[in-house]
Amino acid sequence: MTNRAEQVIEVEKLTKRYGDLLAVNDISFNVRKGEVFALLGPNGAGKTTTVEIIETIRTPTSGKVSLLGMDVTKKKHDIVPRIGVLPQGFSSFDRITVRETIQYYSRLFCRRDTDIDGLIELVDLKDKTKEQYKNLSGGLKQRLGIAIVLVNDPEVVFLDEPTTGLDPRARREVWEVLLGLKKKGTTVFLTTHYMEEAEFLADTVAIISTGKIIAMGSPGKLTESNANYMVLTLQSVDEKVFGIVLKMGFEPVHDDHKDIKVRVEHTDDVQKILNAIKDAGASCLSLDVRKPNLEEVFLKLTGEALCEDPAGGRGAE
Amino acid sequence: MNLRVVGANLVVSIKSFYREKTAMFFTIAFPILLIFVFGTIFMGQENVSFDLYVQDLDHTDFSALLVKTLRLNGKFKITKVEPAINATQYAKDNKLNLVLIIPEGYERSLNQRIDTDDPDTSVTITYIYDPSSTSVSTKMQILNSVFARINQQVFGKPPFIRTAEISILNKKYRFIEFFIPGVIAMAVMTASLFGTVNLNTELLQKGIIRKLATTPITRTDWILSNIAYQFILAVVSTIAMLLVSYAVFNVSLRINAWLPVFIVLDIFVFVGIGMILTRFVKEAQSASAAANAIMFPMMFLSGSFFPIEMMPGFLQTLARMLPLYYVNEGLRASMVFVDNMTALRYSAIIGIFATVVFILGIMATEWRSPHPR
Repeated sequence: MTNRAEQVIEVEKLTKRYGDLLAVNDISFNVRKGEVFALLGPNGAGKTTTVEIIETIRTPTSGKVSLLGMDVTKKKHDIVPRIGVLPQGFSSFDRITVRETIQYYSRLFCRRDTDIDGLIELVDLKDKTKEQYKNLSGGLKQRLGIAIVLVNDPEVVFLDEPTTGLDPRARREVWEVLLGLKKKGTTVFLTTHYMEEAEFLADTVAIISTGKIIAMGSPGKLTESNANYMVLTLQSVDEKVFGIVLKMGFEPVHDDHKDIKVRVEHTDDVQKILNAIKDAGASCLSLDVRKPNLEEVFLKLTGEALCEDPAGGRGAE
Repeated sequence: MNLRVVGANLVVSIKSFYREKTAMFFTIAFPILLIFVFGTIFMGQENVSFDLYVQDLDHTDFSALLVKTLRLNGKFKITKVEPAINATQYAKDNKLNLVLIIPEGYERSLNQRIDTDDPDTSVTITYIYDPSSTSVSTKMQILNSVFARINQQVFGKPPFIRTAEISILNKKYRFIEFFIPGVIAMAVMTASLFGTVNLNTELLQKGIIRKLATTPITRTDWILSNIAYQFILAVVSTIAMLLVSYAVFNVSLRINAWLPVFIVLDIFVFVGIGMILTRFVKEAQSASAAANAIMFPMMFLSGSFFPIEMMPGFLQTLARMLPLYYVNEGLRASMVFVDNMTALRYSAIIGIFATVVFILGIMATEWRSPHPR
């Protein structure tokens, strides 16, 4: 059982309404000190509203939220200096350089001891210190954002969709920085709609859909408890294989790489499928049997896929 | 209020301004250009000289004397038109707005009038003119007054009613000296209004406000730093304008404590209006259009460039409802007429307006992104 003193964030029966819109619907969860907690859900699920309430930016309609042992609705001025926030779609002043931007935010927190050079090194922006914000790429802007989040040496860091809109390489670069925070033992509250990101970084994942948390646990436990099946992937150039599997009563699907994916209940089913392919004189180039990933768990739980908005821009909610 | 936070914000604003060349141009160089352009025009008007085409059909000593009198008047640069030319056609072909024709027999008629003192003996000088020209009526008025004086001196008695001009000012002021306080008021208004609108819309649209809302900076800190920033810009811009005015146009304007007072009031009014605007118009382009819709009537109706007495009555009433009018007139009262009582009265009026608008502006300023999209 977790010691209550270790709980950095406690959310109890939190609800938020915007007029007729129920953005967050009676959710409860806790975040332990030093863990990376990911709130995972599609655009419009209620992630940003939830995180902004915890960050003291918004007030809840009902429910109780405490951060660092303080009520977020009453202790804003005590909480703000102890947290670091990277809001969704972070942006800064166009004509201010990387170093000046970090200095600016450090001054806003009235910190004289901020290790500006250390932060620049942490986010690997040493070559860009004199570059103005407007000239940075998306990935560099987000890395600068993470440096800013740390200017006040926060006890809890909130990152609202830190890699949305970034290309895969830039996303990986941001992950590396976040892994560094994790290793340092910083408590991180992350919202994302990237399964891979949650699986890669988070100790605990809460899946939110239409304002409700529908599953929560470690990525491993979530997949284990919500998916009592395995995924068989068959790489084949033989057109007949799909029909053979279908005829056996399974529900094969083609994935993006034209491979065939089949959900199987037991390991015996794998053997049966392979035998049937062999008996029919067809062949496979390779096969893979694995447990389902978070994406498949999410699909099973919500019936909807997690995906980035078509324009590749930043989603908001 | 946290001075360190206000200072940090101020530094960022000044650096951003310094690195944004367009903003630099419109805040500092543009008002100076206005002063150069209008100053040159007004300077020229004080020594204006009109072109006058004269066709002397009489070609006698007396007609030559008349032409010489017109030249000596100092208002005309005279060009002679050959007597053989059709003056009307000549004016049309050369796009002249006025040709004066001295008729044949001018000298003979003049001698006859002197000899006989017959009031029926007269001569008609003809004006061939283009009524669509804006300056022709001025030329004709000057010519009429010259001819009236000649008539009176040659044939009449000395006038009974004479006029004397006594200026209420200790010194004769030039139009440029009335113009510069108006440009200062206008430049401060433009920088404050557009500076606030642009800054606030950038803050909202780019989402910077989301980040600032999670730091210890408060709405008061933000607004105060904006006011301080606008004041610094206004001081720099005003000093530049005054230096140019003194150096190039040798103006005689008094600098006293009223100048910073009116600048500060001007800033508070238009920062307040800018804050109110950005509450209701959040898109950058719409906000800029709304700011223009406020700025242009202020600029042209409140007497920045020309006295409101030149406008119809209802526009004069409207002008007196505009805050910039009181800044213009207050600055003129202090800088041109050194009239402290008038400056005090206008500063009180604009002070009340500034207080109301600024409080409304503070109330209108949202210190967080309005709602999640």
